[in-house]
Amino acid sequence: MTLLSVQDLVTEFAGPSGTARAVDGVSFDIQPGEIFGIVGESGCGKSATCRSILRLFGGADARIAGGSIRLDGAGDLAAMPERALGHIRGRDVAFIFQDPLTALNPTMRVGRQIAEVIKRHRRVSWREARAMALQLLRDVHVTSPERRLDAWPHELSGGLRQRIVIAMALALQPRLIIADEPTTALDVTVQDQILRLLMERRAASGTAIILVTHDLGVVSEVCDRVAVMYGGRFVETGTTAEVLDRPRHPYTRALLAALPSRAMRGQPLTPIEGTPPSLTAPPPGCRFAPRCPRAEDVCSAGPPPPLMAHEAAAPRHLDACLLEGMR
Amino acid sequence: MSLLELKDVSRSFWTPRSLVDIALGRSPAVLRAVHRVDLAVAEGETLGIVGESGCGKSTLARLAVGLQAPDGGTVLFEGRPMSGPDPAGRIQMVFQDPYSSLNPRMTIGALLEEVVGRYHRELSRRERQAEVREALARVGLPAETAAKYPHALSGGQRQRVSIARALCPRPRILVADEPVSALDASVQAQIINLLQRLSRETGITILFISHDMQVVRHLCDRVAVMYLGKVMEVAPVEALFDHPRHPYTAGLMDAVPDVTRRRGTARQPVSGEMPDPYAEIRGCRFASRCRFAEARCAEPQRLTETAPGGLVRCWKAADATLPFSGGKTLT
Repeated sequence: MTLLSVQDLVTEFAGPSGTARAVDGVSFDIQPGEIFGIVGESGCGKSATCRSILRLFGGADARIAGGSIRLDGAGDLAAMPERALGHIRGRDVAFIFQDPLTALNPTMRVGRQIAEVIKRHRRVSWREARAMALQLLRDVHVTSPERRLDAWPHELSGGLRQRIVIAMALALQPRLIIADEPTTALDVTVQDQILRLLMERRAASGTAIILVTHDLGVVSEVCDRVAVMYGGRFVETGTTAEVLDRPRHPYTRALLAALPSRAMRGQPLTPIEGTPPSLTAPPPGCRFAPRCPRAEDVCSAGPPPPLMAHEAAAPRHLDACLLEGMR
Repeated sequence: MSLLELKDVSRSFWTPRSLVDIALGRSPAVLRAVHRVDLAVAEGETLGIVGESGCGKSTLARLAVGLQAPDGGTVLFEGRPMSGPDPAGRIQMVFQDPYSSLNPRMTIGALLEEVVGRYHRELSRRERQAEVREALARVGLPAETAAKYPHALSGGQRQRVSIARALCPRPRILVADEPVSALDASVQAQIINLLQRLSRETGITILFISHDMQVVRHLCDRVAVMYLGKVMEVAPVEALFDHPRHPYTAGLMDAVPDVTRRRGTARQPVSGEMPDPYAEIRGCRFASRCRFAEARCAEPQRLTETAPGGLVRCWKAADATLPFSGGKTLT
């Protein structure tokens, strides 16, 4: 059974220099309980992809211009009216933002905020909701949870705030949590604790997680499967081991080669020359072709190449390199 | 002789008191951002300063440049005590954010010319422009960049311009505070290569402040690890990463996500969170989070030499049998 099935998703943002297709034909499936990573550099469309699922565009002039987002048992979220989607948010699919301080209401005590989320979707008394909030704080390992219920968000550290946000996300036992760079604003030691917490809650409740990140190290240590995104499109997907140990798309390879690694100490790194493509007027053919060391003439013509399996032994390891298919 | 030396340097910040605090006679809370730090930077080396937010590494950078005056101890440059930024511009700083550190209303050429003019009044306009062209060339930017405004440049190009600006007065030391943290990995690699090339070709001394252990391992010759205003460990880069001596260093390394490591790998990262920086801690500052803490850790710890070139602030570090994981021992 597939939990979420995204097909040919197109999301456009209106801007002064024209309409930008931040997401241009993205498809993927999420199975129950799996952690799926979407990785890429700034402006690749990874955040727009995950925000499209719940249409959380934060006031930007954005719209889903095509494709479907089917959630098991709920139908197509892309075609759903705003009000119906409001019932899905939090209850079936929860969202965790990068910055926990903007996700929390600064004028409301932590316990009340969690209780409010519960009250919005469940018929319980305030007293019951507060008891549930306390249990949630215990689940996310907040120390002295009774005391924290009455704390204000500004009194808490960044790590504690992100734990509160995760407690709120878990409040209604959603089937899917979308986490958009949940640890980017945190120190590495706290990041490690938050990632462990997400994995632990996944194991305890079977919640699936979409983890958006720019950090291949995070992907490596957390995700079951991963998609590498570039210029609004997925260029490679597969299990974490397939993509990171046997990368096929030249962009995935270039991204891995640009990282400082222990073997290369003192040697020059391999940056990716050039700049990312414009999303208002993307280049024809493969979007990475203008920067690709292997590109040939065929790469810069026609529509962007689709994701394809190129090895019989790895039918779910897909990449969008034209040359890979011709070898 | 060390080119730059911090001798017992401290810098504290006081929180402003409210009227109520004053009326009740409460003393202001003191944050010891940098507390009695001794650190010597040798000519030509790239010294990394690592630590988590709030460890004092950025304050240390500002003290090293003279942008902030120490309230205890002295900063020596070429053996002489500094008071404020060097008038000849021989110590220059590169900031984290190349978007906010360049004046958006000046062309790159004008921006750099101004810096050259400030330190070399004797130069003619033509000579200044020649200096600007050379600075741009040294950071790998074409001469046409001089006519452009910052907004027309990518993040990586802007950070090159920031480095070019720092190089204009021909400094002996570059203090770079998180210079690659705001950049994507593919661009980050360009800037790291540039710093490495500058160090090799011109022998410039670099103080590289970063929270990114992988970048520090790649770029630096020696590394100082800071925690709550104190240096916990200093060692040559290989020694530090292969055999971390301080439990904090080891736990910090284990927390760094590594693309070569998969889920389930045995690791022992630092647990808990940094204690309140305003609290007075007499003993080891890391003890509240340390797996190996004992009663003796409540006493003040001294930075002591345990290996050639290696200093550690932990009485237990002399014990080589401790199972500090870190680096590659466990993985």
